Amino acid sequence: MEDQWLIIGIVSGVISVAAAVYYYFWVMRQDAGSEKAQEVASWIREGAASYLKKLYTALTLVSVVMGFIIAIVFSFDLTMLGTGSVDIEPTRGVIMALSFVAGAVSSAIAGYMGMAIAVQANVRSAVAVRDTLNKGFKVAFYAGSVMGLAMVGLAVIGMCGIFYLTGDPEIVLGFSFGASALALLAKAGGGIYTKTADIAADLVGKVEVGIPEDDPRNPAVVADNVGDNVGDVAGMGADIFDSYVASTVAAMLLGAAMTGPDTLKYTVFPLILCILGIFASLIGIQFVRVGKNGKPGKALNMGTIITCVIFGFFIIALVFLGGYDLSTLWSTLVGLIVGVIVGFTTEYFTSEEYKPVKETARVSGSGAAITIIMGFSYGLLSILPSIVGIVVATMVSFYVSEASGVVSGIYGIGVSAVGMLSISGMIVSSDAYGPIVDNARGIAEMAGMEHSVVEKADVLDSAGNTAKAITKGFSISAAALTVLALFAAYSEIIEARGVSVEISLRNPLVVAGVFLGAMAPPIFSALTMLSVTNNAFDMIEEIRKQFREEPGILAGKVLPDYKTCVALAAQGALTSLVGPAFLAVGLPLLVGFVLGADALGGFLGGAIFTGVIFALLMSNAGGLWDNAKKYIETGQFGGVGSEAHKAGVVGDTVGDPFKDTAGPSLNTLITVMSLVSSLFAPVIAAFHIF
Amino acid sequence: MTVHLYLSLIPEALIASMLSPEEFGAYYAVGTQKKSRGQALFFEVDPKFRSDFFNVEEGIKRCVPHEDGSPKASIYISVYRVLENVPMNALQKLYLTTQDGRTLGLDKSKSLPGNGTGLHLYREVAPVTPLVVSSFGPKDFYELIVKEPTSLIKLPSVCFAELRLDELAEDPRNGEAGDLPYKNIEHLRSCLTDLQTKTVMTKMVDRTPTSGIPFRTIKNGFFVGNQKKLLHYPLPSEKELVEKYYPWWRSATM
Repeated sequence: MEDQWLIIGIVSGVISVAAAVYYYFWVMRQDAGSEKAQEVASWIREGAASYLKKLYTALTLVSVVMGFIIAIVFSFDLTMLGTGSVDIEPTRGVIMALSFVAGAVSSAIAGYMGMAIAVQANVRSAVAVRDTLNKGFKVAFYAGSVMGLAMVGLAVIGMCGIFYLTGDPEIVLGFSFGASALALLAKAGGGIYTKTADIAADLVGKVEVGIPEDDPRNPAVVADNVGDNVGDVAGMGADIFDSYVASTVAAMLLGAAMTGPDTLKYTVFPLILCILGIFASLIGIQFVRVGKNGKPGKALNMGTIITCVIFGFFIIALVFLGGYDLSTLWSTLVGLIVGVIVGFTTEYFTSEEYKPVKETARVSGSGAAITIIMGFSYGLLSILPSIVGIVVATMVSFYVSEASGVVSGIYGIGVSAVGMLSISGMIVSSDAYGPIVDNARGIAEMAGMEHSVVEKADVLDSAGNTAKAITKGFSISAAALTVLALFAAYSEIIEARGVSVEISLRNPLVVAGVFLGAMAPPIFSALTMLSVTNNAFDMIEEIRKQFREEPGILAGKVLPDYKTCVALAAQGALTSLVGPAFLAVGLPLLVGFVLGADALGGFLGGAIFTGVIFALLMSNAGGLWDNAKKYIETGQFGGVGSEAHKAGVVGDTVGDPFKDTAGPSLNTLITVMSLVSSLFAPVIAAFHIF
Repeated sequence: MTVHLYLSLIPEALIASMLSPEEFGAYYAVGTQKKSRGQALFFEVDPKFRSDFFNVEEGIKRCVPHEDGSPKASIYISVYRVLENVPMNALQKLYLTTQDGRTLGLDKSKSLPGNGTGLHLYREVAPVTPLVVSSFGPKDFYELIVKEPTSLIKLPSVCFAELRLDELAEDPRNGEAGDLPYKNIEHLRSCLTDLQTKTVMTKMVDRTPTSGIPFRTIKNGFFVGNQKKLLHYPLPSEKELVEKYYPWWRSATM
């Protein structure tokens, strides 16, 4: 039966990708607008393509090098280490390396599809919104669903295919590591790119020269719009692809670690959840509609809720008809419900409809310092619901599973993480909608479309910001549960090699590991944010140079050289990744090989706890500052030009790298570190100094 | 090339230029090298205008294209006491240029608006630039400071804009300040309250406002007058600005 599920999984994945292709061509058939609008869109398209080319070139290099290392390391039968004779199995090493490459390539294809359609849909959405709000919304959302459906489809094809062929979840772990390697490059690189361009465009454009946002006279305006795509479409998509695969693989590994006749059944169970999630998302997407006077934000939320309900029915049917233990139902549902609740509580801290944003805007009249203090404080408070949600999901799933006597408690946590991410198809569709409508608004401005179009695009854009905030809360919480499961999987893998893992705070090596792990997320955040500021300064110089050398730019008579800014942002983002990438991959290995498996366990614990807290704080505080500024711009507390607005702009600028560079990249950091540790756990168990 | 005469209000100057009003506004706001920025307010002056006070002919004579054929941007004819020496009937359109060089032209109104109710906030543009509150409407305010002053201060001419006070106009102590971007709102409230509680008709809020003129809070346009006449240049409604002059409005509301 399990083999049949794997085949169903591959077919479901193909259906999902086919649906993505169908939506791709549906979007492409929509009106691409005037020559001017198409020209503006082509600037963004070319910029995005040039960045992707650089990113994928870097990825190819990383894949080749990492694949080579993995092929060599996993060619040795490490269970034999220390016995005096070591078996060499080159086939296993090569399969593991291919699995790694497949993970990276799948994630890259999903990202590419998402980007390819996003840069076509932006102009089409701007043109469609001229007719009706719903039409513009539909174009953007269906384009977003290309990314969502392609992502889950390719992930499920990859995981089911590899497990079907090898029957070994550890090989699927290689697939997950490949996806994570790309996610780290895409998410952190995209985050650095987008904020470099955004900050440079704003500081020179708005502050020095005094031209408005999205003004075509700004040489960095195209890079800014490209950044929305590379950061929020390719980056966020790769991030959720990574969490989605990692959570499934972690649960599979924990299922495989259980003993008894149903081991295979529960190893495949997480994959079945993904399959059901695909169909729930496919149905849910059909319900996302904006009525005549409807609101896009509500339509997106309704789509998410309907998808959850459908998925809930599916999982109930699966558990009862498939004879699975009831604890798996509770674990899945608690993960799903907590994921949605955490997503929506994020909205409370970042939406201008609630107290935190309003209060921060109100105090901004007294200066930027108090804006920063209040936003930071609410950012810290925003940790509370997410952490409580993670704790509830962890405790409920653990104890319900333990009490069942059928599955292990830690397996329940893994299933809970999969439950949370099972509707990723829908979540990513909503998330990718955000940058598309953001671009649509920019194109409407740059192409000089009438104000009513810009106004309607603004309405779409506002819903996109909320969707983005919800996705971030959702993905951070899911990543937290995923890494908890990976953490358990790490211990299982080590102990399977006959080495016991004792993660006790009475052990100084563990304490050292905890401190080093706790240090990693802040250091990673600092490196990525410093990259943003350094790269932004290079771009600022370029923008100033262009204004200085060609006065016709500001007069609106000569087009600026957009390509140089695009190239600067791309080059800067990729070269800045060396430090953060070493931290993510090199530091856990260094700790493991020097301090041993116990210390690495402590390291992961420290990194997970500070990583989740920093990710929530930075994402939510950044979102809050952004919306506080926007709230003031609606005419509150003095509106544009007031002291409150000036302080709001400072808060927003501080928050930009928080929410779009460092914060969301931390998910990927802790997932990559957990995956590296799990993947190399057998080697670390055999080789370490202490 | 046609030579235009412009009466700039920031700073007060009479200028001959070969640039059209829109080009002149952009040039005046951000310069030719785009190293500076700042609002500009200027009238186009009747090209036939001549006066013993200004050597207009000489200015026009010097306003010739550059060697490369590009138009001469500006020849300053005078930079002092200009407004008081240009008759009101020589003033044509008033142009408002935003900090990044977008220009909007305003036509004169055939009639003056009523004084309205409540308190008023005026931003004087020339010859001096204070921010003043008054219980007088625009017409009475002009008469108070130009025609029939009750104090020792008398201006030969004036250009000012009335700015929105919204709820503060009726209830300075408790009214909502809403989207009014003025600095130190508490001080503004206190000045307005003084108008209601003390026997003063005007009160200075700020002697040297450092920020530019907040175009988006202009209530009913600009007033310019001398001893003989008061002119009114109404600003289009926000709806009209958004629909017809969106690039200017967008820049003005930054």
